[in-house]
Amino acid sequence: MRPQRVLVVDDEPQIQKLLKIALTAAGYETLLAGTAAEALKAIASSAPDIVILDLGLPDRDGKDVLRDMRAFSRTPVVVLSARDREAEKIEALDLGADDYVEKPFGVGELIARLRVALRHAAPHAPAPQRIVLDGLLIDLDKRLVSRDGAAIRLTPKEYDLLAVFAVNTGRVLTHRHILAAVWGPGHVEDIQYLRVLMGQLRAKIERDPTAPKILRTETGVGYRSAETSEGESPREQ
Amino acid sequence: MSRNDAKRPDPDSLLALTRGEASGRLKVFVGAAPGVGKTYAMLLGARRLKTEGVDVVVGFVETHGRTVTQALVDGLEVLPRRQAEHRGRAIEEFDLDAALARRPKLIVVDELAHTNSPDSRHPKRWQDVEELLAIGVDVWTALNIQHLESLADVVSRITGVVVRETVPDIVLQQADDVVLVDITPDELLQRLHEGKVYVPETARRATENFFTLGNLTALRELALRRTANRVDDQMGAYLKQKAIQGPWGASERLLACIGPGEDAERVLRRASQLATGLNANWIALTISPPGLDAEPAEASRLASVFALAERLGGEPLQAHAFDFAAEILRIAHRENVTQIVVGESRAGLLRRLRGRSLPHALLSCAGGVEIHIVPSGEGRARRRFAPSFALKGLSLQFVVAAASVAAAVGIGEALTALLLLPNLSIIFLSAVLFCAVQFGTRAAIMASFLSFLAYNFFFIEPIYTFTVAQPYELFALFVFLAVSALTGSLAGRIRDQRERVLKAAAATQSLYEFSRKLSGASREEDVLWAAAAHLHATFGGRIMLLVADGDALALRAAWPPDAQLDEAAEAAARWALQRREAAGAATGTLPKVAFQFRPLVSAGGVLAVCGFELKAEIPAIAPEDERALTAVLDQTAIALDRARLAGEAVKSAALAENEKVRNVLLDSLSHDLRTPLAIIAGAASALGALGEQISSAERRQLIQSIEEEAARLGRFVANLLEMSRIEAGGLKVGRDWVDLVDVVQGAVERSRKAFPGASLKVSLAPQLPQVRGDAGLLEQVLFNLIDNANKYAGDSAVAIHARQEDDMVVLSVTDEGPGIKAADLERVFEKFYRGGRTDGRKPGAGLGLSICRGLVEAMGGSIVAQSPAVRRRGTRIVVRLPIDGAAQIERRA
Repeated sequence: MRPQRVLVVDDEPQIQKLLKIALTAAGYETLLAGTAAEALKAIASSAPDIVILDLGLPDRDGKDVLRDMRAFSRTPVVVLSARDREAEKIEALDLGADDYVEKPFGVGELIARLRVALRHAAPHAPAPQRIVLDGLLIDLDKRLVSRDGAAIRLTPKEYDLLAVFAVNTGRVLTHRHILAAVWGPGHVEDIQYLRVLMGQLRAKIERDPTAPKILRTETGVGYRSAETSEGESPREQ
Repeated sequence: MSRNDAKRPDPDSLLALTRGEASGRLKVFVGAAPGVGKTYAMLLGARRLKTEGVDVVVGFVETHGRTVTQALVDGLEVLPRRQAEHRGRAIEEFDLDAALARRPKLIVVDELAHTNSPDSRHPKRWQDVEELLAIGVDVWTALNIQHLESLADVVSRITGVVVRETVPDIVLQQADDVVLVDITPDELLQRLHEGKVYVPETARRATENFFTLGNLTALRELALRRTANRVDDQMGAYLKQKAIQGPWGASERLLACIGPGEDAERVLRRASQLATGLNANWIALTISPPGLDAEPAEASRLASVFALAERLGGEPLQAHAFDFAAEILRIAHRENVTQIVVGESRAGLLRRLRGRSLPHALLSCAGGVEIHIVPSGEGRARRRFAPSFALKGLSLQFVVAAASVAAAVGIGEALTALLLLPNLSIIFLSAVLFCAVQFGTRAAIMASFLSFLAYNFFFIEPIYTFTVAQPYELFALFVFLAVSALTGSLAGRIRDQRERVLKAAAATQSLYEFSRKLSGASREEDVLWAAAAHLHATFGGRIMLLVADGDALALRAAWPPDAQLDEAAEAAARWALQRREAAGAATGTLPKVAFQFRPLVSAGGVLAVCGFELKAEIPAIAPEDERALTAVLDQTAIALDRARLAGEAVKSAALAENEKVRNVLLDSLSHDLRTPLAIIAGAASALGALGEQISSAERRQLIQSIEEEAARLGRFVANLLEMSRIEAGGLKVGRDWVDLVDVVQGAVERSRKAFPGASLKVSLAPQLPQVRGDAGLLEQVLFNLIDNANKYAGDSAVAIHARQEDDMVVLSVTDEGPGIKAADLERVFEKFYRGGRTDGRKPGAGLGLSICRGLVEAMGGSIVAQSPAVRRRGTRIVVRLPIDGAAQIERRA
């Protein structure tokens, strides 16, 4: 199987150099782009498997790249940016980014996020029906949740919420996304519903609800579930 | 106005109607949101017409694959679509030319708000529709209420979704039929959940925000209301066309009839209250007999009444008629008025005797209109002073009349002695005319009576008695009386009128000048000064304007400008502010104060208080002055209100701008701090996590990156610290003799180490004198300048030059980069200013130059930027340092 191709869009030559070295070492093929125009051209012509996108580009804003490329491409995008205002993150995610990593970043974390985004984007990967998150077993077929063989009773809404995370393991999900998925598009503003239900759900499934490991909070943005224990790394593919 | 006239249809309405008949009919199906079933309703109607044999064609309908809708289209004639291309994607558009060629009776074109592809004839689909209508084709179309131009703002405020495709309101207004397709928001949400509403995949996130119960309820309200308004308009148009006399009671409309009298304000306020209660609009109407100009005092009173009406939200209207009641009712019918508000009685004695006061007359022929009669209040107090003034005038006129008649007697005696004139009436007539022209009607009439008596007494036999011997003389005497009284009063009236006209012209002129001054004044301060100066010029005395800020009052303008507010005056001003009534001199509150204070009231409340000085001997303000004053104060209040609103708009714009600057600054700081950090952390973590898989050459590269970026970060942090030290004033500037050659060498060496790729050209004039300053700081300045020049220089060299000029040493650093715009030459020294884009590139937080300026100025020197520097490119930063800088340094310390 050919190595997966990563397009790095960043105008800082040092970052480009660093990512090229790191990604090559991790088994990816690396393409580089320094401007929004180059990035769009590369996405259209070289068909990368995933894009790492900096939001501060010299010619245009990175969000414009995101908006434009989404018109013709579903390639997963991981935003890598120094901007840390929540509104920016949410905007990028709403525009179709799959995840974001804040600068400064650890290479290990970045590669893990790339892996998750690639897995969810894989076109014919059969959706797993049994998912294990930090020792919690979720059986989507039978709608059962258990830990160490002991069943955990969830209300239908709690189960719906957990199921949203179960099919999106390791990904960041915005409040709006979760609200729309669980309560429907009429309730995307009702964050307090989500907070309350999240509290109930964590109390039932987390080992220590005060330090949640399965469903972690992404402050101001949303929540992210733990990585599934059955995940595959790209090099094994 | 004759009866026929009153019932004649409005010509404009007829014109509009004929236009309507010439072209095709437009029917718009309006809905609150996508998915309410507009297309469905439209197609259903079209099918029905088809079965009735009407030539129906579907021009463009998007069924979004819904089988129910598709089934409705089947069996109808569908125009083929035009293939177009937009941004590389093939799209299908409505084929206007095909529709024009086919020319059916009725065409169905969905989505009126649609924006056509760029290669289309019209940018918008509603323009296609207009073209179809113009050739007489009936069009049915559908529109979501959010696409209506005037609602776009409201909708984006409610829903947070920016509406880009809009249709001008006039299209909907001119539509012949509007059909509201309505379902409840709950139903719509239900349909959405069931997947019955088509939502394109790309827009799914946006629609999630859009389809909330709150949004849909608000949109539905808008749709319902817009349609209802349109129906109202249509009803109005129908009434006008058919000349059907109103009123049509669909919505309330009030008419307040006001005279110039004291009751006017009560009537206006009552009308305003009623109108607010009914959520209706209202008209303030004044009527005067035609051809007669109002007295100047009355006119200014009217002006102030109109100003009040406008403040209260009324629409002022002036009319002329002899029969007030008939005119009022005619206007009431024309304007669809449902309720009339009128003061208790404005009728003269004669009318009252005939039992025909205005309210009575209105009541007797009001028809469907309700009449409110506002009882007259007191308000006669002000009149008290008028009689004394009139009496004074009267006695003066009597003296004048007597004097002129006495003169006539004297002249008459002399003439009879000299010439034996048979008839002296002409002399007395001259006296009467003199009085008339000089002193007005009253003096003339008094003079004619006096002449009558004097003529009789002095010149008619028997002389020195009031008896008359001959009957023909008696006759002549009475004829004289009649003629003299008539000519006298006529001449007097002409004079009175001239005077009135002059006065009115002066008053109007003065008000006009004032309003012109106010309209030029955009700031609150200017309005206040203009008002103070005008009040002083018009009424004399000192003027003070105090602006209210919550409960506090501040003296903001006064004329003469040095006027001061004492304690008692301040208390009076405060009273005027809090009670919204006059206080101080010539009022019931604190009358000992030299000033009278009046509140300036506008729709927003009491904005300010105006104080004007009254001369001690005047017990009250003359009615004419009172009215002029009120008019001026009202105008001032309105202008102040306007200025204040404008000021607030500017303030909020500045705030928004500030917020933007702050965000840009944060972005740039976080970019500059985080980029080196990101590289260091990234490279270190890559070495840690993947160390074995990286070749040794690449490992060296990563380590080198870490070193370089750590140095960059170090420089940045040093700059930040330096800046805060300069700002805090804790900077210690040495005062040693400094040899610039050493400084330049030091800085250049440091730069070569820090920026290995840069090319530096140094040229120093021989025998440079030493300067006084701090060698370390000077080297820092030069290093920053080289760093900065290097950033923008590109591949070209950076030139460093130093020479002596009079008692200064001039040090310059020149690059050949793109240069700086003239407007920004000073701004580059501001903190956090950065050339070019904010976030994009060229590292540096915009601190370097501002630090340089701080340091150079601390050493008594100056620093400026020049651009272009070389061959219309580049920037030169010039530092001038005094050769003997000791004095300056001491002065700063």
